[in-house]
Amino acid sequence: MGITIRQATINDIQAMQNANLHNLPENYQLKYYMYHILSWPQASFVATTYDEVEGFGDEEEQDEDNLKQPIACDPKGDSAYISKGEKIVGYVLGKMEDDPEAEDKTPHGHITSLSVMRTYRRMGLAEKLMRQSLYAMCESFGAQYVSLHVRKSNRAALHLYRDSLAFKVTTIEKSYYQDGEDAYAMKLELKLEELVPSKARQVIEDDLSKDLLEGL
Amino acid sequence: MVVKKAAPIFANKEDSNFREALKLYDAKQYKKALKLVETNLKKNANHAESLALKGCANYQLGHKDEAEPYILKAVGKGPDNYLVNHLAGIYYRSVENYPEAAKWLKAANDNGSPNKPILRDLSFMQTQIRDYKNLKDSRQQFLEHQPGYRANWTAVAIAHHLNKDYASAVSTLTKIEGIIKDHLTDADAYEQSECVLYKNSIIAEAGDYAQALKVLDEDEDQIRDQLSFLEYKAKYLMLLGSKKEASLIYRTLLKRNPDNMHYYNLLEASLETLDKPIEFRLKLYERLASFYPRSDPPKFLPLTFVPASSPLFEAKAREYIIPQLTKGVPATFVNVKPLYKDQKKLKVIESIVVDFYNKEASESSNPTIKLWTTYFLAQHYLYLNNLTKASEHIDAALKHSPTLVELYIIKARILKHEGKILEASEVMDQGRKLDLQDRFINSKTTKYLLRANKVNEAIDCISLFTKLDEDAVNGCKDLHVMQCNWVLVESAEAYSRMYKDFEVKLEELRKAGPAEGEEESFKELENDLIENIEIYKGLSLKRFQAVVKIFKIFFNDQYDFHSYCMRRGTPRDYVETLKWEDKIHATPIYTRVLKGLSEFYFDIHESLATKKTEEEPVVIKKNNKKLKKLQAQATKKRAELISKVESEKEDADPLGAKLLQDLTNDKDIIERLFELFKPLIQEGSGLILTWETLYRIYLIQGKYVLALQAIKSLNKILNPYGSENKFKTIGKKVVELSETSKNDDNANAAIVKVIEKGLISAFPDFENGNILEVYTQ
Repeated sequence: MGITIRQATINDIQAMQNANLHNLPENYQLKYYMYHILSWPQASFVATTYDEVEGFGDEEEQDEDNLKQPIACDPKGDSAYISKGEKIVGYVLGKMEDDPEAEDKTPHGHITSLSVMRTYRRMGLAEKLMRQSLYAMCESFGAQYVSLHVRKSNRAALHLYRDSLAFKVTTIEKSYYQDGEDAYAMKLELKLEELVPSKARQVIEDDLSKDLLEGL
Repeated sequence: MVVKKAAPIFANKEDSNFREALKLYDAKQYKKALKLVETNLKKNANHAESLALKGCANYQLGHKDEAEPYILKAVGKGPDNYLVNHLAGIYYRSVENYPEAAKWLKAANDNGSPNKPILRDLSFMQTQIRDYKNLKDSRQQFLEHQPGYRANWTAVAIAHHLNKDYASAVSTLTKIEGIIKDHLTDADAYEQSECVLYKNSIIAEAGDYAQALKVLDEDEDQIRDQLSFLEYKAKYLMLLGSKKEASLIYRTLLKRNPDNMHYYNLLEASLETLDKPIEFRLKLYERLASFYPRSDPPKFLPLTFVPASSPLFEAKAREYIIPQLTKGVPATFVNVKPLYKDQKKLKVIESIVVDFYNKEASESSNPTIKLWTTYFLAQHYLYLNNLTKASEHIDAALKHSPTLVELYIIKARILKHEGKILEASEVMDQGRKLDLQDRFINSKTTKYLLRANKVNEAIDCISLFTKLDEDAVNGCKDLHVMQCNWVLVESAEAYSRMYKDFEVKLEELRKAGPAEGEEESFKELENDLIENIEIYKGLSLKRFQAVVKIFKIFFNDQYDFHSYCMRRGTPRDYVETLKWEDKIHATPIYTRVLKGLSEFYFDIHESLATKKTEEEPVVIKKNNKKLKKLQAQATKKRAELISKVESEKEDADPLGAKLLQDLTNDKDIIERLFELFKPLIQEGSGLILTWETLYRIYLIQGKYVLALQAIKSLNKILNPYGSENKFKTIGKKVVELSETSKNDDNANAAIVKVIEKGLISAFPDFENGNILEVYTQ
């Protein structure tokens, strides 16, 4: 069904936790996801897909024999699913820095976790999720920059943050992870007008001045 | 916490001692507090306050069984004493008995406690138990006590909203906006934005879209969350018929997020293009794709509305699929799979890919293009259940690229469909070994090992990515702490298959009987099988129950947010959270666990009903030395097993043996099952599982009227949109219910008649006596 990127809601958190447990070694209890959604509802996003398409437009084409007879059945007992046929294949969990001990008092965001199921890679989903989250953090919370940590050995993630999104490495944090691996601490300054997700690598812009149906 | 100003009720020595004890209790000096109230009780065993405090102190000191009796005695002696009421409330809150806690905190307030924070605690309990009617009063009273905090106004508005009193909710929010208007600082801007949007959403929920739109525009400069602003505005404009204006907003939303499919659908609705000719709509999507070339929806959506018979479908499908294959997008197949519901589209897509495979992909200088095309076709044939062709393709791909992990995933899936579950897990494991850093392939391998009933190996595998506690042999405990429900439910199901396998083996063994002179080893084998059945049955139950426990945590997790969200200023998502919690038992993993448990409970119920005093496993007489050795071996084996399956540190029942025993000894196991399913009556009323199971429960319990209702509810779900299909499962149940009720000597004759009439009126074929021949679908 292709993929939809949209803001995460409380209804998504079980499936987000499920995706996190499938993909990454750093895991969190569900309450931590609740805490994110209920503190910074705008900052987290999900990538979802559908197993089946309901209500196609060309009904007269789809005579009865042509369509597989839909048989009523319950949603799959799989925690990736958030409703019938809709499942989460990627997520970004974002927050604002809220540690009262933090040195830097300027409002800034932090990426708690980001992952995409392996079978849904190479579609740019991680980048799209990130751009939505960065834009929202800046717009809703006035984040001036965003920070994150990445495993030193995770080349794909490093490529995404450094090359696609222009993050800079600020420091290397020794033994940041449970298993002793070092982390790159990375940072990106945020400017709202530069962050509009559709403007990234865009050629033609819909400037809203023309009638969209003109000349069709 | 229990504040008491100098008050006349402290007239004597006991009362002053009690006041002292209360201070100590509040300072967490529970032992000293206990000592003091005990002195009191020696003099006056009926001193209600002292009894109550003794209950609380006992609880805090870990004498949990000696807490409630004192609380009960205290509220018996002093039911109108607000200090006693308050302490009872505190006790019940600690044991998470929220209905009782709410009852006693409310009593404390009603009986004149001057302690106003009780009202706040009370409101948390009332929300937790969804007593919205009384919530409104406690939130309101607390606001009157502390009107200087916005949080308290938000809380009152939410209480009105939860009572569907939209007007009061809106007026409360409007009032505080007015009060606070000139005092807002930068730090309040986010909360202000959220509260303004909350008010707006309530106006809309009440149905006044014109007013909502007007207020939204007035408040625009206060709103930071532009996404909500635009979504609300577009929705209102649509509902008010200003489609043209709405279309501009949807275009704006697309500029923000061109990857949200819903915006495209809504844009088309606002442009009124859904009824336009296909060629016209295609041009619209081409234009949108030119604006958003990196987005999937403008490319994919045309494939849903262009009919397969149009040559345009072929062209558009090709445009969609071929670049993905060329780029090596692993999800190309799953991206188009939803279109397969239409057989003709499936055929067109098949010919496009086969064609590409035979020509361009084979001729290309880039071999990975052919590889990904082969990978697509393997999945395509798997979908068609053509396992031979699927295997051929995946094997060819693997031969070409034996280091590509994705290929192993599909190969394993094909083997699984061939029923070769063990082989499938081995293939997945080969894939895993190619990328040990990747948890996804590790998870897949774990899952396949569990499907192959190799639970220990599976846990060892996933333990490469879990936290290892000191002295732990694997990550089983961490999987519980991290609420890894998918592993728990797969484990439960694996253990369940395992004990059933052993049951079959036991039956076969007993059928064959001991060979001449082999009685002893026969008995040993028999005992061994019985032991294994018990162990895996217990473990299965234990894992299912672990998920039930985790969902209790999920439900209780909301508790802290009853105060947090008021202060934080996130009322919209808070209300959504309450609604989400109200449906949490109908979510996929939990219903799967309920299904597993229901089979478990029904099995036990049936085996108890048909039990013919099963003979105890015979103890084999052996010489002492041999016996001791065997026992030592068994103990060691058991300890080893426990170290692998323990779900928490120092678990008193690591194998679930006690759980199983309690369940087997339960006189009313079906009622226990009903308790598990009860939440689904509300939360999962649209699930087949709910009514299938409740039907069986009611039938066993002789609640025939409810059983009839369950059949009707089930029939409704099986026939969505008012269709009238006649399903076998319904016909069978109709007959079964009729016969069971008629043959039940304990059944009230009038009820049996009601059932008969009810069945006939709901399923007229039943009267003709041929329902089983008619209900065949």
